[in-house]
Amino acid sequence: MPKVFRNLCPRNCFSTCSILSYVENGKLVRVSGDPAHGFTRGNLCAKGYAYVERVYSPERILHPLRQFPRGSGNWCPITWEEALETIARKILELKGRYHSFRPVGFCKQYGNMGLLHYAANALFDGLGSVTVTEGNSCWSAGLDAYLYSMGSMEKPDPEDMVNSKVIVLWGVNPAWTAVHQMHFIDRARTRGAQVVVIDPVFTATAAQADLYLRPKAGSDGALALGMAKYIVENAWHDHEFLAHHVEGYEAFFAYLTSISYDWVEQETALPVEAIKEVTELYALNSPAAIWTGLGLQRHTNGGQNVRTILTLAALTGNLGRPGAGLYNPSMTPWELFSFYTRDHVISRHPVEHRRININLLGAELKKTTDPPVKMLWLAQRDLFQDAHTGSLRGALEDLELIVQVDQFLNRSSRYADIFLPTTTQFEEWDVLPSYWHHWIGINEPAISPLGESKSDLQIAWDLSRKLNELSPGICSFPTAGKEEEWVAGEFNQEVYSRLEIEDYRELLQGPRKLKWPQVAWEEMKFKTPSEKFEISSLTAASEGLPLLPVYSEPASAPAAYPFRLMTPHSQSGNNSQFLNLPWLTWGTGEPCLRINPLTAKRLGLSNGARVRVYNQQGEIVFPVKLSATIREDTLVCFQGWPGSAEHELNDLLNGSPTDMGSKGSGRPSIAIHDTFVNLCPA
Amino acid sequence: MRQVGFLVDVSRCLGCRACEVACKNYFGLGETQRYRRVSEVEWQTEDGIGLFYLSLACNHCENPECFRVCPNRTYRKRRDGIVVHDAGLCDGCCTCVKACPYGAPQYDADTGKVDKCDLCVSRLDAGLRPACEEACTNDALKVIFLDRIDETGLLKSVPTLPDIRITRPSIRFNPPVVRKQWLSKK
Ligand code: SF4
Ligand code: SF4
Ligand code: SF4
Repeated sequence: MPKVFRNLCPRNCFSTCSILSYVENGKLVRVSGDPAHGFTRGNLCAKGYAYVERVYSPERILHPLRQFPRGSGNWCPITWEEALETIARKILELKGRYHSFRPVGFCKQYGNMGLLHYAANALFDGLGSVTVTEGNSCWSAGLDAYLYSMGSMEKPDPEDMVNSKVIVLWGVNPAWTAVHQMHFIDRARTRGAQVVVIDPVFTATAAQADLYLRPKAGSDGALALGMAKYIVENAWHDHEFLAHHVEGYEAFFAYLTSISYDWVEQETALPVEAIKEVTELYALNSPAAIWTGLGLQRHTNGGQNVRTILTLAALTGNLGRPGAGLYNPSMTPWELFSFYTRDHVISRHPVEHRRININLLGAELKKTTDPPVKMLWLAQRDLFQDAHTGSLRGALEDLELIVQVDQFLNRSSRYADIFLPTTTQFEEWDVLPSYWHHWIGINEPAISPLGESKSDLQIAWDLSRKLNELSPGICSFPTAGKEEEWVAGEFNQEVYSRLEIEDYRELLQGPRKLKWPQVAWEEMKFKTPSEKFEISSLTAASEGLPLLPVYSEPASAPAAYPFRLMTPHSQSGNNSQFLNLPWLTWGTGEPCLRINPLTAKRLGLSNGARVRVYNQQGEIVFPVKLSATIREDTLVCFQGWPGSAEHELNDLLNGSPTDMGSKGSGRPSIAIHDTFVNLCPA
Repeated sequence: MRQVGFLVDVSRCLGCRACEVACKNYFGLGETQRYRRVSEVEWQTEDGIGLFYLSLACNHCENPECFRVCPNRTYRKRRDGIVVHDAGLCDGCCTCVKACPYGAPQYDADTGKVDKCDLCVSRLDAGLRPACEEACTNDALKVIFLDRIDETGLLKSVPTLPDIRITRPSIRFNPPVVRKQWLSKK
């Protein structure tokens, strides 16, 4: 009989599943969903079911390695002692050379979102001021739109979607990226709800929708303005709500009179009938919910587009009530936790790190001087999933030491000198909340660490020990500890009382739901300066953005590069993760380039023909797959596929910043979906 | 005659592939073995884009070609109609792989043998649902008794499914649905 353990999937994903792990003779033999988890209800996604293959993959690195020379692929095993000593000596040498730790760079994002994985952050805090990457490529622009409108990023419990009469899925494909939410959407539907999908790509979610609209990518703001205009013209807006809870609607109404439906048609490429149909559905069926997707805001006008969409909820009073609301990831339940690991050092000794933009890492590394960055610590991160990856190569080559901490070699490894193998969630203690649902589980070790792999926390203790051995007192991060005690440290009385437990170990019996409001903004006290929903935002204006959600022109295709290349998520990968596993990739025919059949005909391409996709930054060769799911001016390749050393898909992404993003996450995001290319037969 | 089979609701399938990988997880399949395979089917309709996902495993056919062609007699049709394969007797000749119209038998280079979906008989016998059906969040897969269901409104085939006349597969489909779409201004 296998023994069963509880784990959490730590990926950057809406579902944060609780996993039941079946272990026989110390080996993980199978995983399943956890029926005790009320949101994921006993199921994982395809990626989650592939974890056994991920843990035991022959490609997984289980010993510290050193690559010499860099880029040769000649990786040789070294001992932990040698690896840590090399790294520690380099840090100390740089400190001696520059009288500063700032030549030491640290780059971490969402490779593993567990709270104990913030140990790496705390380790570098323990040194003093280093150089850290700031910003993210994920959600910043849309987040700022929420912050300007409502003051903080709060959203309903996603289980509350069952109460909606209309659900607008705007630029989001939960069938592939948040599959568990489809159950709640389906329940709403069986209770009579209508589901609308607005997306430049006809996705698997679109195929489920009662009504689908395909606007031109980046024109969402124009569509929302057309909807707002039609709402106001028909007096479908909620007067009472506007008068009490909304700031600046009069000025917005005046702006709406200045736009015409002809203009909306022209911008969105949708007929006015479509705009009227979706507006009528949304405005006349209450309560109605809108979920703003993450792809939606990855445009140079993405933040402003999201801001415009949010006003639709304010106009119709679809806030603060069951079934209504605006959905987007939210970290508010995270803030309940102690961040014992992350703040271990910084809560006692505040440090001001030097910050560089993660979204332009190559350029930022090059231009950072006095002192320059000379070493980089990459924590479960593949830099080649970013934009403008061409410029990264030279910048990375200039560094004196690159340390990669991960489970697999990835595209960044070409530039790395030392690889430190880290454990998967099945081999360590951890806890992590969700940015979507309100369930909290716990992650216990189900198996022993494979090979010589160590948890991020253990690695941080060990490196701190090594540093302090060489230079006593140099790093204030602890040099030893017990993982489980650190998990305990993440909990506090508030979390316990909201989970109605007294000890984190009770979660080993099953995840529990936080006592946390089902509805956001029930009190109607927004966290903006006016305490109202701010259609007109003085804060935005003071930060150089438009006062009102006026339209901001989208990026358009230059003559030489007439096609928009979009790189959305597939169901089989999560950013750069999972696509190295045959269970998820073998036999799927990916990667390929989706192209509209009319475009293909025009260019004389048939299914499977190989094309060279290029722009001023790079090129890559793909077979094409004809699909009418996309417009004639659009090409789609799902993200995450490893390219070759010379040709990466992401070389084509130009890294233009989004219009917003600095407020919530320090930097603008990347307008990933404003990438323009041309193609020709290969 | 008793016949167990699958009912696949292509109007509900999300193409998420959870069923496919849950099956690999349950049986610990080889790298290239796909007992269940999810594919994307797109066609053009009067009303717009037709798009559905087709999740197929073994169809436990009434006239199983695998059974007919296997030189080692590894296939057996149970009284409940489920077609099972005895990998112990299999020498990996792949005659069945070539004969099955649906690509159900799957060769594993590591074991040198073929195997396929057995409709999770050991789970069914224990009163559990098959691993794929259990993993489906959107209730698109169901095990049915073909001798007992009312087939009104169900289809015997859908676009891209190979000819069903040779083996008479024990699979039925809820029809694909195309709903209201606004693709672009005319
Ligand atoms: S990737 Fe997301 S849906 Fe899949 S198992 Fe992990 S948390 Fe669950
Ligand atoms: S689907 Fe193929 S393997 Fe399955 S019973 Fe029919 S012929 Fe045999
Ligand atoms: S799990 Fe269900 S929804 Fe997902 S691909 Fe399989 S049949 Fe379709």
